[in-house]
Amino acid sequence: MSAYLNTRVSLYSVNLWQATDFDALLRTPDAEMADTLAERGLLQLAAGFNAPEQAGQANDPLSLEQRIIAQTLDETRVLIRPLSGAARSFLIYWTARFEVTNLKTLLRGKMTGERPAALLGRLTPMGSFGRLDNQELAHAEDVSELLRRLEAGPYAGIVRQARRAFEQSHDPFNLDAALDRAYYEGLAQRARVLEGCAGAGFRGLLGNLIDRINLVWLLRYRFNYNLPPAQVYFLLVGAHYSLTGARLRNLSALGSLEAVLAELPQEWRARLASASDIPGVFAIMEKIAAEHALKVLRSSAPAISRAFAYLILRERDLRAVRAVLRGRHLGLAGADIRLALQRTPLEVM
Amino acid sequence: MFRAEPLVKIQMLMLASEAPDAALTLARFGVFNPSEFTATSDKRLTLPELLPDAPAEQYREAWLEAESRLSKLLEQCGDLGPLQVPADAAAPSLDDLRELNTWLKEVWTACLACHDGEERIQDERKHLDALEETLSKLERLNVDLARLLHSDSLLSVNIGSLPANGLKRVSEALSMTGTLVSRFDHVGDHVYAVIAGPRTRQEEVRGLLAQAGWRELAVPEELRTHPQEARAWLEAERKRLEDLSGAECKILGVMREQFGPRLGEARLRVALARPLAEAALNGVRGKGGLAALAGWVPRRQLDELRAALEARFHGRYLIDVHEPGPDEAADVPSLVRYPGWLKPFVPLVKSYGVPRYGEFDPALPFALTYPFLFGAMFGDIGHGGVILLLSLLFAHKLGRIAWVGISAGAASMVFGVLYGSIFGYEDILEPVWLSPLHNPLHVLSLAVGFGVGFIVFTLLINARNKWVAGHRLDALFDSTGLAGLVFYLGTATGLASVAGASIVAGIPQNLAWTAAIVGIVVVAGFKWYEAKGGIGERVLVTAIETLETGINLFSNTLSFMRVAAFSLNHVALALAVFTLAAGMSVAGHWFTITLGNVVIIVLEGGIVAIQALRLMYYEGFSRFFSGDGVEFVPLRLEGQAIKH
Repeated sequence: MSAYLNTRVSLYSVNLWQATDFDALLRTPDAEMADTLAERGLLQLAAGFNAPEQAGQANDPLSLEQRIIAQTLDETRVLIRPLSGAARSFLIYWTARFEVTNLKTLLRGKMTGERPAALLGRLTPMGSFGRLDNQELAHAEDVSELLRRLEAGPYAGIVRQARRAFEQSHDPFNLDAALDRAYYEGLAQRARVLEGCAGAGFRGLLGNLIDRINLVWLLRYRFNYNLPPAQVYFLLVGAHYSLTGARLRNLSALGSLEAVLAELPQEWRARLASASDIPGVFAIMEKIAAEHALKVLRSSAPAISRAFAYLILRERDLRAVRAVLRGRHLGLAGADIRLALQRTPLEVM
Repeated sequence: MFRAEPLVKIQMLMLASEAPDAALTLARFGVFNPSEFTATSDKRLTLPELLPDAPAEQYREAWLEAESRLSKLLEQCGDLGPLQVPADAAAPSLDDLRELNTWLKEVWTACLACHDGEERIQDERKHLDALEETLSKLERLNVDLARLLHSDSLLSVNIGSLPANGLKRVSEALSMTGTLVSRFDHVGDHVYAVIAGPRTRQEEVRGLLAQAGWRELAVPEELRTHPQEARAWLEAERKRLEDLSGAECKILGVMREQFGPRLGEARLRVALARPLAEAALNGVRGKGGLAALAGWVPRRQLDELRAALEARFHGRYLIDVHEPGPDEAADVPSLVRYPGWLKPFVPLVKSYGVPRYGEFDPALPFALTYPFLFGAMFGDIGHGGVILLLSLLFAHKLGRIAWVGISAGAASMVFGVLYGSIFGYEDILEPVWLSPLHNPLHVLSLAVGFGVGFIVFTLLINARNKWVAGHRLDALFDSTGLAGLVFYLGTATGLASVAGASIVAGIPQNLAWTAAIVGIVVVAGFKWYEAKGGIGERVLVTAIETLETGINLFSNTLSFMRVAAFSLNHVALALAVFTLAAGMSVAGHWFTITLGNVVIIVLEGGIVAIQALRLMYYEGFSRFFSGDGVEFVPLRLEGQAIKH
């Protein structure tokens, strides 16, 4: 089975984008866009440009977002086919973040009293990965009823604490933060089961992901939202990678972004020296993660590690494709779109 | 019974305000299958362009909301009994539906409040239980609650609960504020803890606790006294909750009494609105004050439908009737009316596919052939009898499908009489016809002969289907058409004649081989005509497809040898059981015989049932039955039986 998955990942990895490919996409005329996207394996996005009656929708950011997620789900569906046990459950859970986004949409919709039909239209179709009964949930009368129904469903573990947090404060931020944290803690928990057999490469992929999330959240909560250190620390994902609990506690207590960056592990300090703000930190850390993912993808690491590395890189590409398409739709200059992409070639040692 | 009923497409134009009633009338009519719009029969008007709006969308949206609220309410109020729809009841308008929806929302909100009230009481009960539990623990620890919770300017103390899996993280985070957490109890997935820290950082702690899902255990003043007084207070609280719960029950009862009758009416109105809401899925078109519905109805019931519409709308409508052309066959739904005795076999046919409109429906040949094949492969009076009895015994649980078991069991018994086999014993009864064990070659030849007949039948049906669908060249010259049939019959007769089969003794061998050659040459010619591309490619395609024709037809024929093989297998299995039983004592002997027969019925019976189905599907259906038709799904009222 791993031979099949390895072959499948290698075939898929041909479709990953180089920095120069985005320049080509920027220059592609609208009429050829569908063919170009289809050639790069982005059939879901190409479909949006193919049908004339859907042309309007294809340029609609929401619809574009949904198509990008559909593309990711299509590829994940193929990759999990030969998997079983913990590896399968990990990749399925990896797709669940899209459904957690649906869950947040439902909760926000209920808070603002949005019509069920409009709310349903904004949800991302999850296909065979969907575990929520969206129809039933969209027709819940209010947030409390919705949370009660969710607690009886497949995301009970994620929702339980969020409900208690929401009941205490009725603050949507608390709800979102609790949902996100519970999701990533669930991911780290599932990854831990796999780390023994999936090797150091896999641990590195997860470490880069969770550490990046923790560092960016820490900076955002501490310096954008001005939350006190103890609360910031509580909102971070509990994990066992480079940024351990003790280190996160120390970092949360610091008073400026520079001070936090100066207290990071040595190898991070060097890479993050040029970052002066939170988006800059995110972009550099994402690049570090992408370089590691590319290294794992090109290595002879276990199939699950290569598959996960591919999905990380593919999603990064799709985000950039979305930026290009949306930028074109808004009529932005090519130079501005390039700047927004922040794509520089990956360096793999 | 053999083919779908001829349908016509109607496109009905009416006043938009009468669209709900029109849909209701069509639902009452019981055989209207909504569909997409097309150009009118005279090709002058294209309704989708003339009527660009979707006026029923809002109706459907309102109905969905009302239906969702109603089902939640009915869940709370219990069963209201079967729905009675008066013959003259009219469908609600959009405004009526919205009004109903608003009322349902009010009732559901009130119901939710009661429900929430009950939940709050339950929560409070749990809270009291926890408090009592807490108190008993604190009593054992000999802690003075009044002193523990005494407010001073330096120390802030909280008692409460939080999710157990968050305790470690909360403790770590609170340690950053100089606050201590001390756990003193664990109930379910929650822990109870005392939190104490500097009052100066209380705000910081409060924010964190809100995030962590902390629930303050409000220890009332009454509890901050001597434990005995605290106990008395707890008892009083329990009594108060009992009274409150009784009051909530009364409110719920009053609500049921108050809203019950109107809920029944709401249920009726939601049911009456369902037809238009469902039709909206397939697209109800409109513009301004006009609306249009499209769908399929049986041609022979068209006048009946017109009369029903006339009686209701007195000419305030327009109907365009359109006969489906051959190119539309794939989109026309199939409405086949089956006699009651045939219905149990229909799900097995439909599990392969729905017959396409105009296509031959294989339900009848299936119902005759399937039990026949099962009986031939599993011929035994005893085993067939057991299957028949079990099917009768569990008929109420199995429903209609029990008849498949009954017919298979009966066929098995008939073949058991013909083979002279009862519970595997071959020497108790004289075979009326033959014993497979003693005449294996004869049985094999008969099975192949049956296969030839079966394949001839499927080729004839396929030719008929192609002819009806307008593919006349395919019907005449293709490998699965008449040319293929001539080749197959010629070759089969020629081979039978060479083998000396008496059944073809009167047919000259030369004639058979000539028919075979003519047939295959016509097939090859047709393949050449059909093939696209260069000369080389056409030669290759023609050669391969012609060869495939021969291989397919004869490999499928040989597939029927399994019918004989399984009838022999049945006897062989029984012999194996008898051989095992022969070496045992009397009790062991009968135990082995009984167990062996159970194994034969369950294991071999199951395999034979699957093999018979496989023969029907792959050697039969795949040759003539596309199975890609569209099921006829009529608009209907809740609780209304489907007419067809």
